[in-house]
Amino acid sequence: MDTLLQVLLDGMLNGMLYALVAVGLCLIWGVMDVINFAHGEYVMIAMYVTYWLGFLMNVDPLISMFAGGLFIFILGALTYRLIIKYTIGKPPLSALLATFGLAMLLKNLCLNQFTPNFRILSDTWLGDKTFLLGALIVPVPQLVTAIVALVVVGLTYYMVRSTRFGWAIQATAMDKEAAELMGINTERIYLLVFGIGGATVGIAGGIMPTYLAVHPEVGTMFSLIAFICVAMGGFGSIPGALVAALLIGIVEALGGYYIAPVFKYVAVFGLYLALIFLRPKGFFGW
Amino acid sequence: MVHCKSRMTIWLLVAVAVTLMLGVAPAPTLAQEKIIKIGTIFPLTGPVALAGQRCKAAVETAVEIINNKHPNIKVPLAAQAGVLGGYKFVLVHTDSQGKPDVGKAEAERLINQEGVWAIIGAYNSSVSMPASMVAERAKKIFMCGASSSAALTQRKEMKYFFRTASTDEIESQEFIDVLQWLNKTQKNANIKTLGIIYENSVFGKNASQQALKAAAAGGFQVVADVPFTPGATNLDSEVQTLKSKNPDALFGAVLGADYALMVKTMKKMNWVPKVSLNYCSGYQDPVISKQLGPDADYFMGSTAYSPEFASMMPAVAEVEKIFKSKTGGVPFDSDSIQETIAMLVLAQAIEKAKSLDPTKVAETLYANTWPSPLSLSGKVAFVPGGQNKYALSLITQLQDGKYKKVFPTEKADTKPVFPMKPWDKR
Repeated sequence: MDTLLQVLLDGMLNGMLYALVAVGLCLIWGVMDVINFAHGEYVMIAMYVTYWLGFLMNVDPLISMFAGGLFIFILGALTYRLIIKYTIGKPPLSALLATFGLAMLLKNLCLNQFTPNFRILSDTWLGDKTFLLGALIVPVPQLVTAIVALVVVGLTYYMVRSTRFGWAIQATAMDKEAAELMGINTERIYLLVFGIGGATVGIAGGIMPTYLAVHPEVGTMFSLIAFICVAMGGFGSIPGALVAALLIGIVEALGGYYIAPVFKYVAVFGLYLALIFLRPKGFFGW
Repeated sequence: MVHCKSRMTIWLLVAVAVTLMLGVAPAPTLAQEKIIKIGTIFPLTGPVALAGQRCKAAVETAVEIINNKHPNIKVPLAAQAGVLGGYKFVLVHTDSQGKPDVGKAEAERLINQEGVWAIIGAYNSSVSMPASMVAERAKKIFMCGASSSAALTQRKEMKYFFRTASTDEIESQEFIDVLQWLNKTQKNANIKTLGIIYENSVFGKNASQQALKAAAAGGFQVVADVPFTPGATNLDSEVQTLKSKNPDALFGAVLGADYALMVKTMKKMNWVPKVSLNYCSGYQDPVISKQLGPDADYFMGSTAYSPEFASMMPAVAEVEKIFKSKTGGVPFDSDSIQETIAMLVLAQAIEKAKSLDPTKVAETLYANTWPSPLSLSGKVAFVPGGQNKYALSLITQLQDGKYKKVFPTEKADTKPVFPMKPWDKR
């Protein structure tokens, strides 16, 4: 029983991290219908921002994650202004290939500048701390990440559902031309959505160096899982992405432990395929 | 208008003619320059890019030594410039990304388009396998430094494939020898059960198969067989599985950042086996102890070279200076040094064969024992299938961030810390 609870706890904590990575993608994909293949590279760059701030200036990731968020906000806005803007209204493949190219550029830039060396930030505030909850081992860095994820996902959801800006986002997502007729500056909405989507994933990447090594390939698998979270949750649905991420974390942990460790991603992708077959719109899709 | 069009046609024809002439002209020049093109295939990007970049630097180091006079370096051919009376090596690097299909395509491109004379690579066993088949078909020599899959040299029909490094078959037997030695020499060691954690790749699967075979022969019971996806976001289920089975000993075939994640996850779950022995570059990576700090300590593994071996291999120091200049100060590790050795042995064979006929050079490679001051055994000789029969590695344990030699005892410089210290007592 203790093992089952431990596996569930680990799965939920990993799921919350996936949610934090996925929420930005959800916003971008849901609102703009743009598949951002550079999402994993955003995670990686935010990790480097935090790592270097920690390594060179001794700033803890708990603080520098906001710098990571800001950096990726700017990177996201620039991505829109310099690349995505020119693909709007073009065949969907244009944006997809453009972001794929951006991903290659960012990854190879980091390979060139930082080498493929993996880097671990030592002596962080959270470090490798754990505490016991009965027989359960609770890892503090992952727990704090889960709390950060809840706050960020909650705030993003609140922003989209309950603010004028969020209503403008929803209107733009539903019908761009109608939104423009209502006086919404959709250009600005797109720019900010890309920026805010980047900021959330920047915060995710920013906190990850507390317990994960930083290297140019680190974002790849997170990006893949984020895509599945968004597709499973329903395009544009933030609660959907959260539920899907939690489910993926739990399925991954249970499948990995009770069937076979190598089966954990098979279980996740199998679940995705089954869901797409039964409910193509995802859990809460429009 | 017609006049203008005909003038354009004339200019176009002139341009084509000039281009054709330029295209043809350099060939004799290149031949006169006495160049031997060697293609390299390494994972320069992808999950094990770190190792691939170092392997590339290692081959470059060897070529720099062979192409120029280095009287201060005590390795064969260092005192002269080039081979066969002035032939220089030129490297053509390619990136396999660690993917077999990409590596195979690059091997084909190197041979058919770049016209390389031989290939060195490919680090990943999964890439070396198909890429060497391409070279074999084209009757080109394929020098393999660090791929460890035993299957590579079990292809007895291969005539042009040569590997200098040890194999996971040899290492598995060494690991079992270590367990038996610990059972004999350590009080209450009582090592009976074994867990294996390995990446789900040709390298990992071969290592696990060899481990299973060696464990069965050595009388150890394998209680946990744990493959994982390289580049995974976490290794929680993997380590949880190991923890619940709690094997006495753990064999690991885990590379790069995955190795760091495995160690961190073991710490998070507060579990260590009595002894952990690791294949290949995860454990051997010189940055591991720097990045993991004290957490890296007390793990063990096979090591063909680390800077702590300097007194046993004095020739390495000068060569390593050149290598470090290419890696930002990172020294050789067990894998990268094998690529330098592979290139040096190939150059020696060309010089000895006095020929650039690949078949003759391959026969020469088989027919001789090659002095190799960068190898732990000091020499290299190949048996059918292309395996270096003198490939040797020692068992080391990381203690205070240093690779300490612990087995075999006649070469040991310290005693192993056994059992591994639990995380809460470090």
